[in-house]
Amino acid sequence: MIEEWNKVHVVYVPAMEKQAAASPDWAPGWCRLDSSSIALTFPLPIGPTPASVKTFFFPQPETLLTYTLENNHPDKGLMREPERSRDMQVVLGVRPCDARSVLLNNLPYQEDQFFQANRQRTALVGFSCDQTLSTCFCTRMGGSPLDSEGLDLALSRTEDGFLIEVCSEKGEALVADLELAPAPESDISALAARRNAGGNPSATELDSLKGSELGTLYDAPLWQSLGEACINCGACTFICPTCYCFDIQDEVVRGQGRRIRYWDSCMFPLYSLHTSGHNPRGQKVQRTRNRFLHKLKYFPDRFGPFSCVGCGRCVQDCPVNIDIREVMDDLIHLTAVE
Amino acid sequence: MPTINKRISEEIRAQARKLLEEGEVAAVLGYGAGSLPMTVKPLVVRNPEDCSKLIWNTFCVLNLANYLPAALKSVEPPRGPRDPKPEGPLPKVAILVTGCWSRNIVVQIQEHQVARDRVVVMGVGSRGMVSRRKVAALFPGLEILAVKEGDHELVVQGADFAETINRWSVVRDNCQSCTHPDPVLVDVRIGEPVSERKNPNPFMQVDAIEQKTGDERWAWFTAEFATCIRCYACRNACPLCYCPTCFVDDAKPQWVGKSLDAVDTGLFHILRAYHCAGRCTDCGTCETVCPMGINMRMLTKKLNKDVLNLYNIEAGMEPDAPLPLTTYTMDDPEKFIATEVTPVPGAVKEGK
Amino acid sequence: MTETTNWEPKIIAFLCNWCSYAGADLAGVSRFQYPPNIRIVRVPCSGRVSENMIMSALKSGADGILVSGCHPGDCHYISGNYFARRRFALLSNLLDFIGIESGRVNFSWVSASEGEQFAEVVQSVTERVKALGPATRLVKKIDALETELLIA
Repeated sequence: MIEEWNKVHVVYVPAMEKQAAASPDWAPGWCRLDSSSIALTFPLPIGPTPASVKTFFFPQPETLLTYTLENNHPDKGLMREPERSRDMQVVLGVRPCDARSVLLNNLPYQEDQFFQANRQRTALVGFSCDQTLSTCFCTRMGGSPLDSEGLDLALSRTEDGFLIEVCSEKGEALVADLELAPAPESDISALAARRNAGGNPSATELDSLKGSELGTLYDAPLWQSLGEACINCGACTFICPTCYCFDIQDEVVRGQGRRIRYWDSCMFPLYSLHTSGHNPRGQKVQRTRNRFLHKLKYFPDRFGPFSCVGCGRCVQDCPVNIDIREVMDDLIHLTAVE
Repeated sequence: MPTINKRISEEIRAQARKLLEEGEVAAVLGYGAGSLPMTVKPLVVRNPEDCSKLIWNTFCVLNLANYLPAALKSVEPPRGPRDPKPEGPLPKVAILVTGCWSRNIVVQIQEHQVARDRVVVMGVGSRGMVSRRKVAALFPGLEILAVKEGDHELVVQGADFAETINRWSVVRDNCQSCTHPDPVLVDVRIGEPVSERKNPNPFMQVDAIEQKTGDERWAWFTAEFATCIRCYACRNACPLCYCPTCFVDDAKPQWVGKSLDAVDTGLFHILRAYHCAGRCTDCGTCETVCPMGINMRMLTKKLNKDVLNLYNIEAGMEPDAPLPLTTYTMDDPEKFIATEVTPVPGAVKEGK
Repeated sequence: MTETTNWEPKIIAFLCNWCSYAGADLAGVSRFQYPPNIRIVRVPCSGRVSENMIMSALKSGADGILVSGCHPGDCHYISGNYFARRRFALLSNLLDFIGIESGRVNFSWVSASEGEQFAEVVQSVTERVKALGPATRLVKKIDALETELLIA
C-alpha cells in the first residue's frame, strides 16, 4: 500500500534518527520515503512522533513572495508568489494528538491561504496508540489515543493486521485503487468498544478554567516561580504542535529577495517588542504566563477548545522541567478555591 | 549508609536553612525534584520552611549561575531607574555550585555581572552529572519510569524491566573530560572536597574532529547542526549569555537570518560559540538542554583548547586575572598571519 | 555557465585607516599594480573588525576576506591590534575547525609606508582565493531569480 502511494505522492515518515537535511523535500523530524527506506516506517515509537506534523502545514519558513533587486533586470522590484508544488504529500505514522492539532490550528488559520493550501495537499495517515507514555495526557485535553479526528486514514492494530478507517475524501482517494479486504464486523465493534471504554473525553476537569475569571488566573502566584525557573528559550513553542505564531521578514542576498514567514515564539522578548521601544511583555514572567494562559484561557475563550492536545513533547523536552500538567493542576486548584 | 548525594542533600537543606534563618542571605538558588525521572527543577528558596524542597542528585545538569544575576536583582528593594542606590549592603544570595559553575561565577565577577560580596557560594565537589539522553539511548523504544541512584550505579526501571547500569558510563561527556570538578570559590563547603582529576587528554573529542580532513569537518559541521530548530535553549541556558540584545536579534544590520536556513543556523552556532571564547567553562549545559541533541559543545571546547594552548588560560580560575580576550601580550602567537610579508619581530619601521 | 571560466573572486578587505588603508593608497600613488579583486572597507582599527562582520561578508557571498591592520606595536590606539590578534587567532582556528578552507579568511599587518607590501599581500591573497574557487560554504542563497524563471 505504502509502495503504491510512494509512486504517485511524496510520502513522509517520522525520522527516528538524526537525519541531515539532504534533500530539499526534507521536513524537520520527518524524512521522505524512498523505496530503500520503507523499512524505516515501522515500528513507530510509543507516544508522539519525534516532530509534530505542524511543519507540513506551517513550514519553517514559508516563502510568501520572491523578488529581484538586480539592476537591469526587467522584473526588478516586482513581487511574485513563488511557484508552489501541488503534489499530494502523504504523511505516515501521524498520532491522534497531532491530527487533532491540525484542526485546532485551523481555527485561527481559517482564512490563511498558505495554511489552507498546505492542508489541501497533505493527507494524514494516522496510527492509533496501543500504548501511551507517562507524559501523554491527550485524554485530559479532550482527545483520545484511539481518535480518528483530523486524519484522512486512521489505522488501528487488530489481532491479525490493521483496521483502516476512511475519514475523508482524501483518505478515500488514497485507498480507492487498492484491493483491500472489507473489515470484519468483529474488528469494527472491538474498536468501538475500546473507544467507548475510554469514556467521554470532552468532559474534562479543565473546563472549569473556561468559565473562570481571567484576573484570578492572571494574578496567580504560581507565575512568579515559573517565570523564575523558565529560561525563555523557544523549545516548548517550536516542538509544540499547536503553537502557531509567526513573524514575517524580508531577506535579501546579492539582489535576490524573498519574504518569509517563520516561526516566532512568545518566549522571545522580540516577539512583543513595539517599534516605539515599549515591550508590554518585557519580563520573563509575563512571557511564561502568556504561553500557558494563551493555551488554556485566551484560545478557548475565543475558539472553544484548549490549544493543547496533550502530546507531552514540551513536558519531555523543557530544559528546566516546566510541566504543563502541573500548571494545569495549579490553575484548576485556584479556580476551585474561588 | 545513605548515598553520597543523599548526605549532600541533607547538608544543603541544613545549610540553606541556617543561612536563611540567620538572615545571611535572602534567597538560596538550588534544585527541586522534577516531574519526570532524571529531571530536576531550578528552585529559588526564600523561606526557611521551603528548604526541605531542596535536593541534590546526579541529574543536576542545569547551570544555576545562569540564574544568579536575576536572583540578585530580585532580592534588592524595588526602586525606579532614577532612584538612588539604597544605603548599606544589599541582600545576598546563596547558590549551589560545582567546579564549572563556580568558574562561571568567577567569570561573572570578572565581567562585573555579579558582585562577589553579595554571593554566598555553597560549593559541592562534582562527581560528574549523568546525561539523561545517554541513559535513554541504552533503552531504545522503552520508556524509563524511574531511576534509582546509588553511588556508582543506577537502577533504571520501566514498565516491565529493571536494569542496573554503571553510573560513570552515562556521565556527560564534559564531566568525563573535566579536570576541575571541585569549586574554585567556596564560602560554605558541602560534602567532601573532590580532588583535581588528572585527565590525559580533556580534548579528545575535539582532537578526533581535528584529525579529519577539511571536507570531512565541513560535512560533520553541516550534519551536526542540520537539526537545529533555533529555539536558543543553548544560548538562554548559558550563564555567559546575558547581553540585553543578542546579535541574533540585531535588525540593523541583521547578522543572522531567522529561519531554518542552514547558513543562518550555522552562523548562529559559530558566533554563539565564538562569543564564549575564553569564558566558557565547559559546563555542558548548552548540549544538555538542546531538545534536538546537538553537540554544539564541540565548538566551545575547541575554543577552550586554543585559549589554553595559545594563551595558557583556563576560564574562571582566577577572579583577579583579566579574561583572555581583554588582555594581550606583546609576543602572542601569530601563526595565522599567513602573508609572506610578516616582518621579523622587533624590526624597526619608519615612524608615521 | 561562463562563471567557471571567467570567474574572478570578490574579496572584502577590512583595512585599518591608519596603516593598511594608507598602504593601499601608497601602492596606488606609487603605481604598484595589484589585482582589482578587493573591495575595501575602511575601518578605524583592526580591533574594530568583529567576527560578525567577517561572517556576514562570507554569508553575503564574499569569496575571500582580508583583514589588515598595523604591525604589533604600531597601533594608533596603542593596543587595538593586540586585542585583534588574539581574537583573529581564535576565529581563524575555529573556521578551520568547522571546515572553512584555510585561505578564505586572511589576516595581515601592513603599515602606511608599505605600499609595495600591500600590493604583494593582495596579490597573494587573490591567488590563494582563486586557487580555492568560488566560496560555497556558509554562503547564503536565495533562489528568487530561479523561481521566477520557472514561472516565466
